[in-house]
Amino acid sequence: MASLNSVLLISFALFSIGVAGVLIRRNALVILMSVELMLNAANLNFIAFARHSGSASGQAFALLVMGFAAAEVAVGLALVVALYRRRDTVQVDDINLLKG
Amino acid sequence: MEHLLESLGRNMFGIFGLMALGGAALMVASKSAVHSVLAFLFAMLSVAGCFLSLEAEFLGVAQILVYAGGIVVLFLFVVMLVEISKFKQKEQQAVFHSQSRIALVAVIAGIGAFAGIFRNALFGPTSPEALVLRPELARGLDVAKQNAQAVSRGLFADYLLPFEILSVILLVALVGAVVLAKSERV
Amino acid sequence: MSLAMITEPSAMTAASHAGSLLWLIPFLPFFGFLINGLSGRRLKNTKVVDFFALGSVGLAFLLTLVQFGQLFGLPAESRSIHQTLWTWFDAGGARVLGGLSTYKIAWAYKFDALSGCMALLVTGAGFLIHLFSTGYMAEERNDGRYYRFMAYMNLFVFSMLNLVLGANIMMMFLGWEGVGLCSYLLIGFYFDKEFAAVAGKKAFVTNRIGDFGFMIGFFLIFMVFGSLDYDTLMGSARGLMALPSISLFGHTASPTWWFNVIGCCLFVGAMGKSAQIPLYVWLPDAMAGPTPVSALIHAATMVTSGLYMITRLNFIYVNAPVALSVVLAFGSLTAFVAATMGLAQYDIKKVLAYSTVSQLGFMFMGMGAGAFAAGMFHVFTHAFFKASLFLGSGAVIAACHHEQDMRNMGGLRKLMPITSMSMILATFAIAGIFPFSGFFSKDEILWKVFDGWYHHGLYDGPTLNLVAWILGMLGAFCTAFYMTRLIAMTFYGDYRGAGNDPYGLSVQSEAHHAHDDHAHGAHGHLENHVHELDHAHDHHGDDPEDHDIVPGHHPHEVTWRMWLPVSILAGLAVVGGFLNYPESLHRILPIVPAELFTKWIEPLLYQVAPAAHGEHVPPAMEYGLMAWATLVWAPGAMLLAWWIYKVDPSWSRAKAFVTRFPRVFEWVNAKYYVDEFYEAALIGPIKRLSAQLWSFDTWVVDGMVNGAARFTVIWADSMHWVDQKIVDGAVNGVAWIIQEVSLLFRRLQSGRVQHYAFVMFLGFLVFAFWKFLA
Repeated sequence: MASLNSVLLISFALFSIGVAGVLIRRNALVILMSVELMLNAANLNFIAFARHSGSASGQAFALLVMGFAAAEVAVGLALVVALYRRRDTVQVDDINLLKG
Repeated sequence: MEHLLESLGRNMFGIFGLMALGGAALMVASKSAVHSVLAFLFAMLSVAGCFLSLEAEFLGVAQILVYAGGIVVLFLFVVMLVEISKFKQKEQQAVFHSQSRIALVAVIAGIGAFAGIFRNALFGPTSPEALVLRPELARGLDVAKQNAQAVSRGLFADYLLPFEILSVILLVALVGAVVLAKSERV
Repeated sequence: MSLAMITEPSAMTAASHAGSLLWLIPFLPFFGFLINGLSGRRLKNTKVVDFFALGSVGLAFLLTLVQFGQLFGLPAESRSIHQTLWTWFDAGGARVLGGLSTYKIAWAYKFDALSGCMALLVTGAGFLIHLFSTGYMAEERNDGRYYRFMAYMNLFVFSMLNLVLGANIMMMFLGWEGVGLCSYLLIGFYFDKEFAAVAGKKAFVTNRIGDFGFMIGFFLIFMVFGSLDYDTLMGSARGLMALPSISLFGHTASPTWWFNVIGCCLFVGAMGKSAQIPLYVWLPDAMAGPTPVSALIHAATMVTSGLYMITRLNFIYVNAPVALSVVLAFGSLTAFVAATMGLAQYDIKKVLAYSTVSQLGFMFMGMGAGAFAAGMFHVFTHAFFKASLFLGSGAVIAACHHEQDMRNMGGLRKLMPITSMSMILATFAIAGIFPFSGFFSKDEILWKVFDGWYHHGLYDGPTLNLVAWILGMLGAFCTAFYMTRLIAMTFYGDYRGAGNDPYGLSVQSEAHHAHDDHAHGAHGHLENHVHELDHAHDHHGDDPEDHDIVPGHHPHEVTWRMWLPVSILAGLAVVGGFLNYPESLHRILPIVPAELFTKWIEPLLYQVAPAAHGEHVPPAMEYGLMAWATLVWAPGAMLLAWWIYKVDPSWSRAKAFVTRFPRVFEWVNAKYYVDEFYEAALIGPIKRLSAQLWSFDTWVVDGMVNGAARFTVIWADSMHWVDQKIVDGAVNGVAWIIQEVSLLFRRLQSGRVQHYAFVMFLGFLVFAFWKFLA
């Protein structure tokens, strides 16, 4: 069985990779996927503590987060499609109309 | 052989975890967006495996259904839609941000700091009986053996309001996505 | 030396009586000057100008007669009418000999025996000469210059009356300067002709040099006497002479020494004003002015102001023997030298000018010999005959169409009978023929000079008197000679101006060309101004084209306005001498009372010892000299001139003389090159000095001024640079700094969402580190 520490470490590392992806990649879709990765890391954390405390609340909550992530992906992808239609690019560097 | 399976069974979570990390790293580092999506898929499946190894069967299956089945497919659709133009253009576009080195440095620094903050939680000892499930907490339900029931009890009894709100959010997201992705000429 | 001693009254002081109309005598011509001067330009009808000019002087003459009549009613010791108009300036508090003076210089007039006679002469002769100029200046009526001439003449009469009627030396000086100014204005009346303007300048500058001496003289008088009033001065003189010594400016000397100095300084002024050597050079050049000016100013009145001054201040001169000797020496020298200069002149006015200088020398001789009354009497007789001669020459010049060279005249006796008779009579007068006036006055002077040496048979007088007498006699000879020469050349023979010159005596006339330019414009106006039916235009009725040497053109007698004054003055020259009939003649020929004039002004003369006149027997020498002068000496000169210039119409003897002694003639004709000497020795160096000073002023003084200006400009430029670079630089620098800083901050707004996320992460990082390290 996995110890709490290892689960937390794994989720922490996953989260970090997600953060790195958000900050490093230029492609908007990859950024969205990195955000999903972060959410998944948070889910893993929920599950870990649910198991540690023997309560199912964590798992229920993780389910809610999963639904929320789905909604967010839908909207985000719609945004990317609309953005792509307008600017013909998905590189976030090129979307800099707010540049001052 | 049984020894190997034994140890494999004992370290199931670690294997799935490392697989998830590998998939995630691949996803972040690959040049092509399609490769990223596939690596993402791999990562999601690995996370599902992690869930399963932590005796959260319902969530593991839900993970596969939602993420690998829905979200990744959506991502693939959009990637195919977007990346077509890339084959029309001849030039190669930069994959990483121009200031990615600084960001990496910052991220590593952040990791270091976070790990330092939570060193007790991450590297310290934990109570051994933490992993022993206590039935009295689940109101007579055993989370490990009666997982779906426990989860449903938590979902529809304890957190009903967030659940309903989530459904509204999903509706809003649906409408929003339709509106946003609508083409100019209808 | 207390104030009481200085102002001690004496029996010699003439007491004063108040006269209420006295001030009008000078001020009437002054009002005439104001009216004519200010509004004359607008007056189209010059008869109005005539009315004011003649009227004011005429009225002044009548008033003078009235006042003069009043004088007869006064006793001899106090024969003076006073009028003080206002206090001119207060000279109180000045440090004079007796302490601090309390004298106030007043604008006051004093009509006494001497000034009354002078006022009569000025107004009377002035009126006659004004009348003459209404005819003589006929052309200027149409040029618009007429009013100016009349105004200046009136101003001159006003100034001269101030000079003679003034009650103190400052009033005399006011008149002195005023007549100098009017002389300048009138000599340079035709100011567009350069020789006239230069002559005016010369007169004024030469006068000024004399005025310097005059001023020193009366400054000293003020310092010594403490006053400038004639009455006060006459009263104080005796007291001052009694002092053992006078100390002024740290120098101590006897009163006689101081009086000598004063007398010599005052004589320097008289030298300038009355044209004695060496300051006579302006008088011949002054003939550039119109002839009435020469008559009034340079014959009758202005040039006699020096003599009036000496007579007025006789108390100084009587006590200053050295000064008297100086006067006598210069006067006799001038009398002789000027007379020789007149021998070789051809311009009729120049002859009369040198004659004036010479006669003035005679007058100063009289003064220098102590015979103030004789000298003053010669002033009056000279005024009569010289004014008559000048006006007559003016008539001649006008009749010959502004011809002034005697060689182009001749035969005018038949053409201008009245004028010629008047001038001939005046010539007899000036030559000194009995019984014309010149005889009485000139002879008296010469006798007094001689007697200074002869001393009634003692022969113990100063030799200077003998030398002066010899020079005077020679001068009288020359006078008679050149005057007769003038008459012979001008009035006898045949008229040479119209081309009728069988002996080739005439010369190219300069006057005609000048006159043509002058007259053409005038005659153009004449046709339009028919209403100006003035008799003066009669002789200008000839066509101007006749002016050139054209046969058939002859001069004729002038208008009554011109010959009347000449005749009146000639008549006075004939009979005027009997006003001072000498005592010696009275004894043998008592037809008129003796020495009326001398007795008349005697109370005004300072007497060293009580006068004892009329008691002693005149010596035989006096009768002898008198007879010699009038029967041999003067007639001899006249006959000599007659013989050379009239008997022989070709003047061959004169020409032979010139051929034999060409250098002599050349020197005399060029007036001994005195003018050239002055120009080279004095005027040239002064001009060069002035040029040096001018260049100093331009380079140094103006250089400093310009340098200051340039420095200011440079300073302004540097301030501008400071303002631009430093001040504006500071202001702009602040703006630049702000811009640069904000450029830095602009980088934060990259417009990229990832950037914002990164910044958020950085913030989280900071927070995390803080927590970690805390």
